[in-house]
Formats: sequence, structure tokens, C-alpha cells
Amino acid sequence: MATRVITVDRSLKPGIWPLVLGHWETLKNLVRTLILRQASTIEFPEKRRNVSGRYRGIHILTAREDGTPKCVACFMCATVCPAECIYIESGERPEKTIEKYPTRFEIDLLRCVYCGFCVDACPEEAILMSRENDLVGTTREELIIDRDRLMARAKLLDVGTGYHPSEHDVRRPVRIAAIEKLKQERGIGNSRPPRG
Amino acid sequence: MTAETGTHATTQVLRAALGSQLIDVAEFRGDLTLSVTRETWVQAATLLRDHPTCDFRLFLDLCAVDYLDQPERPARFEVVLHLYSVSRRHHIRLKTRLPESDAKLATLTNVFKGANWFEREAWDLYGIVFEGHPNLTRLLTHDDFVGHPMRKDYPTSERHVLQHPKERLLKVPEGSEKLVLNIGPSHPTMHGTFRVQALMDGETIVDAAAELGYMHRNFEKMAEVRTYWQIIPYTDRLNYCSSFMNGHGWALAVEKLLGIAAPPRAEAIRVILSELSRIMDHIICIGANVVDLGAITPFFVMFRAREDIYDVLEACCGARLTVSYVRIGGLAEDVPEDFEARCRRAMDSVREVLVQAERLLTRNIVFTKRFKDVGVMDRDNALSYGWVGPCLRGSGVAYDIRKDHPYSGYEQYDFDVPVGTVGDCYDRYLVRMEEMRQSLRIVEQALVKLPRGPVIVDDRRVALPPKADVYSNIEALMNHFKLVYEGILAPTGEVYGYTEAANGELGFYVVSNGAKCPWRVKVRPPCFNIYQAFPEMIKGHMLADAVATIGGLNVIAGELDR
Amino acid sequence: MPKLTIDGREIEVAAGTTVIRAAQQLGIDIPHFCWHPDLSVDGNCRMCVVEIEKQAKLQISCNTAATEGLVVHTDTPRVRAARRSTLEFLLVNHPIDCPVCDQAGECYLQDQYQAYTLHDARTELEEKVHKRKLVDLGPILLDAERCVLCSRCLRFESEVVGTSTLMFANRGNRTEIATFQNRPITHSYAGNLADVCPVGALLSHDFRFKMRVWFLASTPSICPGCSTGCNVYVDQRDGEIYRLRPRRNPEVNKSWLCDPGRAQYKQIGSPERVAVARTRRGAEWSAVPLAAALDVLAAHIKGAGRALAILGTPQATNEDLRALSTLADTTGARLDFRVGDPELKVRELEDGILQRADKNPNTQGALDLGIARSGVDEIIAACRRGEVAVLLLQGPELLRLPAAGVFLEKVPFVAVMATHNEPALERAHLILPAAAWAEIDGTFTNYQRRVQRILRAVPAPGEARPRWDLVGELLRRLGAPLAATSARELFGEVVRAVPEYAGLDYRVLGESGRVAISVGANGHSPLPQV
Repeated sequence: MATRVITVDRSLKPGIWPLVLGHWETLKNLVRTLILRQASTIEFPEKRRNVSGRYRGIHILTAREDGTPKCVACFMCATVCPAECIYIESGERPEKTIEKYPTRFEIDLLRCVYCGFCVDACPEEAILMSRENDLVGTTREELIIDRDRLMARAKLLDVGTGYHPSEHDVRRPVRIAAIEKLKQERGIGNSRPPRG
Repeated sequence: MTAETGTHATTQVLRAALGSQLIDVAEFRGDLTLSVTRETWVQAATLLRDHPTCDFRLFLDLCAVDYLDQPERPARFEVVLHLYSVSRRHHIRLKTRLPESDAKLATLTNVFKGANWFEREAWDLYGIVFEGHPNLTRLLTHDDFVGHPMRKDYPTSERHVLQHPKERLLKVPEGSEKLVLNIGPSHPTMHGTFRVQALMDGETIVDAAAELGYMHRNFEKMAEVRTYWQIIPYTDRLNYCSSFMNGHGWALAVEKLLGIAAPPRAEAIRVILSELSRIMDHIICIGANVVDLGAITPFFVMFRAREDIYDVLEACCGARLTVSYVRIGGLAEDVPEDFEARCRRAMDSVREVLVQAERLLTRNIVFTKRFKDVGVMDRDNALSYGWVGPCLRGSGVAYDIRKDHPYSGYEQYDFDVPVGTVGDCYDRYLVRMEEMRQSLRIVEQALVKLPRGPVIVDDRRVALPPKADVYSNIEALMNHFKLVYEGILAPTGEVYGYTEAANGELGFYVVSNGAKCPWRVKVRPPCFNIYQAFPEMIKGHMLADAVATIGGLNVIAGELDR
Repeated sequence: MPKLTIDGREIEVAAGTTVIRAAQQLGIDIPHFCWHPDLSVDGNCRMCVVEIEKQAKLQISCNTAATEGLVVHTDTPRVRAARRSTLEFLLVNHPIDCPVCDQAGECYLQDQYQAYTLHDARTELEEKVHKRKLVDLGPILLDAERCVLCSRCLRFESEVVGTSTLMFANRGNRTEIATFQNRPITHSYAGNLADVCPVGALLSHDFRFKMRVWFLASTPSICPGCSTGCNVYVDQRDGEIYRLRPRRNPEVNKSWLCDPGRAQYKQIGSPERVAVARTRRGAEWSAVPLAAALDVLAAHIKGAGRALAILGTPQATNEDLRALSTLADTTGARLDFRVGDPELKVRELEDGILQRADKNPNTQGALDLGIARSGVDEIIAACRRGEVAVLLLQGPELLRLPAAGVFLEKVPFVAVMATHNEPALERAHLILPAAAWAEIDGTFTNYQRRVQRILRAVPAPGEARPRWDLVGELLRRLGAPLAATSARELFGEVVRAVPEYAGLDYRVLGESGRVAISVGANGHSPLPQV
């Protein structure tokens, strides 16, 4: 197939008028930023950027109705993590349909690359990401976040979740009745308020 | 396949010349691979370049592969050469085998100028000696490094600390009064960490040598211990200025290996986001380039458009820079409902800043004086080095993969390919400006034509099942588990997947032996070939011209060093 | 010897070979659940069906004998449809337990779904039949919902262990595996139940929730628990061993491993490991660098002249023992190993299945290498007479004898190589840290005189080294260094020293070992006279 090729035009001559136009653009920018206050700069931390409901911030471990972690320490997230930053130890739970829970669940937030694969890999909707990305600490150890701190972050969901499993997938017909039943019995979808 | 099969014209030329020294001819997923004996290596490469039927003048890539302990491979190493013929629009792969006890091969630096650094890299990472190479020293690892890290028996946990960095890259004649000047690596003009050492006679550069590897993280070795899915975040960190495009190229290479195709909606979205990323990359290139000349205003003006493009990306996948949005077989999830609105806002923003940049630069006398006839690269040298992308098009070669080997549905979109005439910095600038306008055209058409449907292939060996299924039935749950802990099992074979990234042909040479991790991944980084020409380009020119030239080459350290 | 064709490839097999085994010989894996190479054929799962030309119905390949001219196809549309249906039925009531089930990663359902069927689900979660979960059977946990009723566990119980503790209870889609009154499994082969179970219905209590199997790297080795020398896999991650699994060897242990053998891995990571050398002055022990300890020991050995006695241990590898006998030859020392008379028990089968009375892995190797020389009683007598100036022990067995405190009174210097701390070591003057079986390369010779390789799975702690390496260091200091610098090379010397081992090397030994030549009339070669 013939490529439609255009040769760039080098013949444009420089001159005085282009200089005037250039300065005119600069003057417009001056007015825009100084007088109309439309600069792109966001004055952090007093103002924060509005991020979307898919933002990949710092993680959250979700809880069941009774406050225990939804996580069953299945190791899917630790397996898929490309940065190998999730450390889990599992322990037994007496409930026969749950059986397992994480006695330790730690994410090294400095090693993490915030790719969101852990959220993709979780089969229990137990790990999500928040809209928060402030990571402040004075030692490396401080920035290894443990299970309880991860669960305490769940209250961030009140202002809206970040990266989470998508509800809408047209590949196969979504069995609505089954989903509704799951929501009632297993609390899936209940831990997340409507997206804000 | 034996040497008896294969009817392509190139094969016949080589068979006629080499006879039984052409050991094997293979075709897999549309790639033609010719294997020759090591004795005929240079002859075969020269023939491929010079014979009128072949005309493989564009040097793409040369790499080594280590087949340690693979029972069906008698020789441990393989050296693989990738070439392209602009006139015939055909890629080719040429290979030869080397035993471990005698890992030596004749150099190709006299056939292709670009082979120089690639052979140094193969020596550095694999320990293959290229006889006749003018400077076979380490390229990506530091000067105190011991061993050859890409070899399969080199443990990933080994560490070598640099104690004595090499001060002198150039040979300075005795008693010379010329000044040795380090440009970089910590210099704002080097847009990334790389270094050029110049021998100065006043303001003129008499000799120059480049050093790189400051950002070498050995992506290719990590790729050998990560699944195809896990490699995606690593690809973001190649050319991080247009990170979506790297993921796009990677996904297409793996899809080629698997023999599957992403659904049309996914391909269209990939095109839109790739073109927006291309615009982002060109903005960086031009903006940063002119900052070096002292023009800071265009930088601030143009970067405003990048904010709106980042906004689009963040709404789709939750991250601005390292997006990890592609998946093998499509995309992670569908775009949000306001995708089109956000795209249009970004496009308006780009149009506005392009007008401004045009007014600030194109006919500005200081700018034209600094850029015209500076950093000239002629067509033949460009091909020999392996230049691609806007730099090659600036030198007059109209090679654009989106037109010549369309992928992801590019054939449906109407757009032009700008080329230059002189091959100077001004041409490259004009080409990039025009490319941004053409990208806007593509995005517009893609948005209008955006088809409905799934955004990931419905193949359970490749794509994670929908979460609703994973929560509610055992089949999907098992499928999900297998895909996470085992991953995609690609068939045994090798492919070269290539896309038109912002800098040109970004290639992924992927070799699979059927396991969950690839056996070998070689990134064909466009700015590696481009930067290799830089020391030659600036010899005999002034320092200020060198500064103007380097910015326009758009060398991104993440892609250069991997 | 019938010749048959499978998927277009011809193969000749022994008469009576079933199609599934014939396919295995060709490298073709036919999916199955109930079939097991070391159990009787049951034919209940129907997963191994194949299409055979001239036969109208699909046949199960596990119970179809290979006959001359049979033409078999293992991957046709009919076969695929049958497998799909079979797997779908098996999954109809299967709970969505993968996240909490230890079988993930080695589960036949997962593997066969992904490799062969990849079908859509057609049942709702609410419709699934519920059965008993988390039934504690002692060493084994039962989850009846996950069971696919393949009966492997039943057949194992009746054919291998002979206890028949497991049975099918109830009927129809309520059928479950059960023990009488949920009584626990009490025989010492319970671990095999978890191995034979293709799904997560029977799981090991010891391994429960410890680690996901896909993180584990497997190293082939030999269990050191007794002279049977069962073949095992050592499964470890980052230097920590999580479990042992049996490695199939039809000539030694088939697919089985006893429970005490499985527990052998626990000693490797024990906190009682000796990791540094120690010397004693009076009652005070102090740690010393290994090199210094070896210097001291070498000096004592030089000064002892012929007043040196050496005791080997049948816990050591052939390589360790060969180095030791070289040391004895060089110094003219007394040499033996038979504390507790292991050679009398080496063939004695205790439980009729796998466990032997000799709880040492290499008694036979020690005998073959001629370590039984001076006689243990003679050495003890020499100690009592004060004729032994230096006593070098390759293992702590002698120190554990109740009379040791008495007969060692006149031995001025006792050095022992030990892997674990124990009270008996207090009687020594110098302790050298020895690497344990999972940390070294070497060979053991089992009761059949089969020489089998062990491979290093994890690194040894601290300064612990293989025993042959410690002896090599002594020989170096004595001016008579070993020619060999690796276990592989040292095995070459073992072969030269033992005529019956002629022709063996690590490559020849391979995965299943080799029985040494000159086997006598009763199938075992005569033991050297004591």
C-alpha cells in the first residue's frame, strides 16, 4: 500500500512578525496565569489533585461484617506481585467455609510499584487500593505496612475507592441473580459504598 | 524445517551463495529465520545487505541467546541478527550457533555501523568475543563488573561494587593541549543518565566517545524469571515518557507468539492511548530540546497538554506514568464512561499548545539559526546505524510501521507520514510537530469509529475470567488460579514483534520454550541505535551544536540501557 | 510383545501392559483420577477414555490391555467431549475452596481443567450438595465436599496398609469418604493418603497452610530414616524445607513413604543444629572458628601416632566413609562403625511394608567400604586400657552408650562430628559442625545394595560442612591431602575401593540408583564377614 508521505516545509522564513506572534503567546500566558489564575499548578498539600475511582494508591484490606479480614491468605497476590513485596503467613479459622486467614500480611510499600495486579489476582475482593498516595516515613521498617494498619485504612473507602475489581465485563452474560445472592450472603459488594 | 523448504527470494539467494552452509530455514508466525554456519556469518550478512533482491539495509538488532542445558541444542550460544529492507518491506532473522568452548564470531562492524554497540553488549552480557571489533569493552555493566550476567548460570543475587570508575573514555595524544570535557551523566542536557566525553579544540569537538549503562537494570534477565503478565510493569519503565506504547508493543509481541488477536475495541483503545502517548513523548523531546538552547517558555507551554493526557490515562487505569494498562489479549478493563470527553479535552489542549509552540519556535530566527543544518545525518549512515522513527524520517526515509506493517487496526485510519529532506535538527523538529498533528487525526478517527464489545480476548488460556464468575463458580476459580500461579504457557518458538513507538521501531524478540516464563526477551530499543551515531555526528562540530543535536534524538535512558 | 499405535506413534510393550502405561512410555499423558501406577485398577472416574479404532465406544485406557495392532487416539473431538462431561460432573458439587485448599498447585481438577477442558460452568453455587468439611482424622484432614470419589484412598488402605479404615458412606450424590465413627488414622502411612488423593479432600495436617506448593523447589534425595532408602523429594523455599514427598521408585518404595520418614525434614531446620565448632576446657565450652578447631585436632592426631581410634557412622554417605577410611589408612588407626550392631538389622523389615529395623541409611555402604575393621568391642577395650590417645567419632553413637562415661575416662582427647546438640556430646572435647543429609551431595547404599544419590537441597547452617570435607581438611593438615575435591570425584574413589560398585558414577546412578553387581543366589550379595 502506498504510504502517504508529506515532506516538511523548511522554507518558512524567520522574521519580525513571527517574533511578535511569539511574544503575543507569552503575553496571553502571562495574563492567564497571573490574572485569570488558570495555571496548571496545584498548590499541594492544601489542594489535592482529584483522582479517579481507579487510582492505584496505597492498599486496603477489606473486612467482613464482623470486622475480621476478608482475606483468606490464598497467596494469589503474593504470587502475582512482580516486585515480590507481599509477605503472608496463614493461620486456621474455625469456620468451615472460611478455614484460613492471614496471621501476617505485610506489604513493603517501598518495593511496591503500585501496579494493581494484587487487586486483579484476589479471588475474594479482599484487597483494594485507595486514592491515597502520601507515603511518609523516617525508616524503611516503618513503611512495611502490616495487616492491622492495612485494615484500619478501610475507613478511607468512605470517600470513595481507588483501584478495585471491575463490575462490568461483557465477555459472558453476567448472572444478575447470582450476583445479588452473593451480595446478600457473602457480603461481596457491600463493603464498598457507591463510588464518589 | 530443513534447508530444503522455504521459497522466499531471499532464501534462494542465500542458498545459491552458501549451499549447505545455510543450515536451516524456518518460518514461524510469519517470521523468516535463516541459520548459517559461523564461518559464513559475515558473508551472509553482507549478501543480505547488498544483493538487489534482498536489500536489507536497515540494521535493527544483534543479540545473543544462551541455551544452556537444552538437550535439543548442541551448541550453547546463538547469535541472532535482525535486519529490515525498506524497499522490500521485509524483516529477516539471521542466526548462527556457537559452542561454549569457542564462543567467538567475526564482527559485523564493517558491514553495519550499528553492530558496534550491539556486539559490545553481547560481549558484556554473554561473554561472546567478536573478532575484529574495534573496542570490545563493557557497555551496560560497570567497569568493575565480573562475569557475564545474562548467562543462565549467573545467579541473580550476585553483586559487584564499582570501586574505580573509568575516567578516560578517549585516547588523548601525548602532550596535547586539547581539553577533555565530560558532557554528562549528571548534566541537564543529557535527558537521562548517559555521558559523552569530548576532546575539545576550543569550541570544536575533535573526538567523542559515549558511555551508557547508568540506568541498566537488566530488564531482560528479569524477564526470564517473570511470567508474561508480570513483565508488563517492567515494560512501562523502558521508555517511560510514553509508557503505554511499550506495553502495547509487548502485548502485541506475545499475542503474535500465541497466535491470538485482541478484540477490535481493545485495539482501537490501544491506538488512541498510543497516539496520545506519542504526542506526550514528542512534547518532551521538543520541549526539553529547546530548554537546552535557552528557550524555557515552550517547555512550560507544551507540558500543560501532557497534564490532560495524563488525566485520560489515570481515568482508565489509575496511574499516570507507569500505566500497566495492557494485558496479553487486550486491556485490563474497559475505559470509563467519560473516556471520549476526556480524550477530546486532551486533544483540544494539544491543539492549543501546538499552535503556541509553532508560534514560539518554527519561524523564530534564533531557533532556526541553532537548528538548521545542525546535526545532519545522511540517509545511508542512518540505515547502517539502524536509525528509525522521526529521526530516520527526518533524514528522508519514509518508513513507518503503522503504514508499512499495520497493526492494531491502523490500516483503517487516514493519516500522513511526514519526512524531511536534509536530516538536520530542524527537519527532525518539523517531523515531530507534524507527527503530533497526524496523531490527533488518528485519535479523532478512532474515537468516532470506536467499536463496542469486549476489551480482552475470550480465551481462557490467556485472559483472567470475569470476577463475578470467579466469586461464583468453581470452573472460573480454577481457571483464575491456574492463570495466576502458572500463567500463560506460550508455545515453543520465537517471534520478533515490532511497533512504531515514539522513537521508532520498538521490537521485542521473544523466545519461548513452553514454560510460564519466556526463555529470552531482547528489547530492540530505538534510541540505542540512534544514540550510537551521536559521537560520530558531533565530530568536527561545535559544542553548542552537540547540545542542540542530542535533544532532538530523544534518547530516553530507560529504553537506552534497559 | 504386542505392538500398538498411539496418536500415530508405534510402540512395542510387554504383554499385559495397559494402554495408559503404554502411552506414558511414549511421553503421552492421559488425564486420569482413579488410576494410580501402584494401586489396583478401579475404572470409576472415566477420565482416561480414549478412542480405539474398530471399537464403537470409548474405552478407559487404564483397563484396556495393549494388543497387537491396536490403534489408539487420545485427542479426538469425541474424547474431548467425554472428558468435558466427566470433569463437569466431578465439579458439579465441588466447593469453591481453591483459596483455602492446600491442594492448589498440585490439584488434578485444576490441572486437567486448564489443560484439557476449559469449559463453562452450568450449575449455580446455591444448587451444590453440601457434605462434611474439616473432619479431623489425626494426621490427615478430610473434606468430603472436595472428594471426587476416585477410591484411591480406599485402595491404598486395603492393598498397601491392609487396614481398610476408609470407606464410602451414604449413596448417590451424598456419597462421602468416612472412617468408622470418624476415628483417626493410626497407622504410620497416613501421609500417603494425602499424596494419593488427587484433590484437596485428604490433606496433611503437618503441611496445613504452611506454604503454597508453587513456591517450592523440589530436590531429589533419599530418606535417611532407615536402611530401606525410600526415594524422596525435598521441597524447600529460600533454604527452608517445608515437607518431604515420596519419589516414585518401583524397585524401592513404589510411591510410598512412611510417616516417620516424612518427619525427617524437621531435624534440618531444628534450633539444636551444631553450626559452629566448640572446644571444652574442663566444663567450659567455647566456640572456635572451624579452621582453628581443625588445627587443634590435626595436632592431636599427629601426636597420637598409632594411638588413634576412628569410629564411622552409618548415617554418613559413602563419600564421607571413604574419606574416613583414607584417614585410617594414612594414620594406621583402629577403625569401625558398628555401635549397636546395625549390620544385623539392615535387612529386617519391621512392619511388613517399608520400615526396616536398622534406622541408619548407609550401613550397607559402610560394610562395602570395609569400615567394619577392628571391632567396636576391641576399640572400647583399648580405650579402657588407656591405649587410645585420640578418639575421632564421625557421629555421636558411641557417646550415647551408658558406659561411655567410664571407658572414655582414659581417653585424653575425644573429637566428634555432630549435626545436632545433645547431652551425649558433653563427653567430647571437641565438636565439629557437620552438614546434614539434605545439605550435601553424596550416596547411600540401601539394604538391596542399591547405591542411590542424595542431592543438596538447602545450605548448611553456619560453618557446618560435609563430613568428607572435614576429614579432607584434616588430611591436608597431615600432609596427605585427598585427591578429590568434590563429592562426585570422591565417589570415583569409592568405586575404586569397592569392586562391586564397578561402572558406577553419578550419571549412571541417575534418578533411581543402581544395585551393585555380584548379587548372590537369594537376591542379596553375601555380607562381608564380621
